[in-house]
Amino acid sequence: MTRAGRIITKAPAARLAWQPILALLAFAGSMMVAVWAGQIGSDLSVFWLMGMAFGFVLQRSRFCFASGFRDLFLLRDGRVMKGIIAGMVVATGGFTLVMSDILPNARLDLVAYQAHVSPLALGLVVGGLVFGLGMVLAGGCVSGSIYRMAEGYLGSWVTFVGIMTGLVVVGHTWNWWWRMDIGLAPRLWLPNLAGYGSAMAATLVALVGAYIFILWWESRGGLVIPYRPATEPPADTFGEKLRQSYRAIFVHGWPATTGGLVLGALNVYMYSYEHPWRITGEISVWGNALAARLGLAQPPLLGIETLTGCTMGGSQCGLLNHMALSNLGLFTGALVAALLAQECKLRVPRKKVRYFQSLGGGLLMGYGAGLAVGCTVGAFFSAIPSLAANGWIFAIALAGGAFLGTKALRWLP
Amino acid sequence: MTMKLDARGEICPYPMMKAVEAMRALPDGEVLEVYTDHSPCLETIPTQAERLGFDTAIEETGSPEWRITLTRKESTQ
Repeated sequence: MTRAGRIITKAPAARLAWQPILALLAFAGSMMVAVWAGQIGSDLSVFWLMGMAFGFVLQRSRFCFASGFRDLFLLRDGRVMKGIIAGMVVATGGFTLVMSDILPNARLDLVAYQAHVSPLALGLVVGGLVFGLGMVLAGGCVSGSIYRMAEGYLGSWVTFVGIMTGLVVVGHTWNWWWRMDIGLAPRLWLPNLAGYGSAMAATLVALVGAYIFILWWESRGGLVIPYRPATEPPADTFGEKLRQSYRAIFVHGWPATTGGLVLGALNVYMYSYEHPWRITGEISVWGNALAARLGLAQPPLLGIETLTGCTMGGSQCGLLNHMALSNLGLFTGALVAALLAQECKLRVPRKKVRYFQSLGGGLLMGYGAGLAVGCTVGAFFSAIPSLAANGWIFAIALAGGAFLGTKALRWLP
Repeated sequence: MTMKLDARGEICPYPMMKAVEAMRALPDGEVLEVYTDHSPCLETIPTQAERLGFDTAIEETGSPEWRITLTRKESTQ
């Protein structure tokens, strides 16, 4: 008996590799954007390049926060969630260094500038539940949808419209939430309680605890399968070794843990520049700018200036600011990566119900991200390493929402 | 005999869920071929196949398109 395993064979017919050629053109164009942005402000080109790096790594490791949560329930498989945790371990160490540089004495009642600390409100829990449900229905969270837009998934473009709309809708209800709930809720930044060392240690212990919990959770599912990366026939010549190394980086998907570790390290680098990785604040600015043209502009949002992270309704709309360039860079980096791997293709959903899932999931994610002050990136992947308690509450609520999502999937064809 | 499952155009988790459904219903001695253009399935389908006692072979048939051939392991029959 031969064990076929996961050997990937190339199609025999030779094809014209036009996608890698487009990738090089896109890369050359993106470098020109970097030079142009750098002439306006040197940190602008840093954010553009950082965004591209995030997009490249997300696409290469097929990093999907939605599947990280969903597969815990659907498959009792924690492969992606373990990658996410590994990334947050790296970021927790790095963020602590950055924050202790910004604000040396954490025992004062101050919070390090741009740490993602937000109110421990009911809105945070509702936001996490709604976001978790939405990302499972749509088949990807906000960052996942953006890199799939670059890969050519039409459904992800529909999701993005939903996210933008949801962020406008939540803006119109924000003042009610602020008066009734969010404005009254306390905030908890762990270093205020016990200093940086203890806060970092507690966060790391909790992350390791979560990792061990996932191992236990997987083992309850019966047979747990060891991860087997894609393999190719053994290489003998130098040329063949070189070709296989190229394919391992630029063609085959990376393991989720590799992706998580690189994303965590990139996040530290981004915080050392200005602020941690965040996405939805800027999307809400774009949504609100479009809504304003239709006469549906958000009212002035109460208390928004007291929040940090992915806050809505920022005043400066345009393409020349940090987060706009970071988001556009994410799309561009993912496009370069997908073209190099020859994974770009217009994919049109064949069932009508998928369009409703994409739009509805996007709306839920937009609304949830508004309430929770961020998505899986800003309110989770950047919040837990910020040593903020809200990151943990959002994570638990996301898991609850993803659980509801897996139940909902069974009702859909 | 070969059964074919065309999951092109579908994204996570549908190709995997449909492949699992098809593997469970597959008569003995038949082979299941899954066609997909969604790369994350190259991780999820082999994992579930292993759980259900199937061997996996992946062939790249387009850019991007793959044929995943699932064969029941002899020892489990």
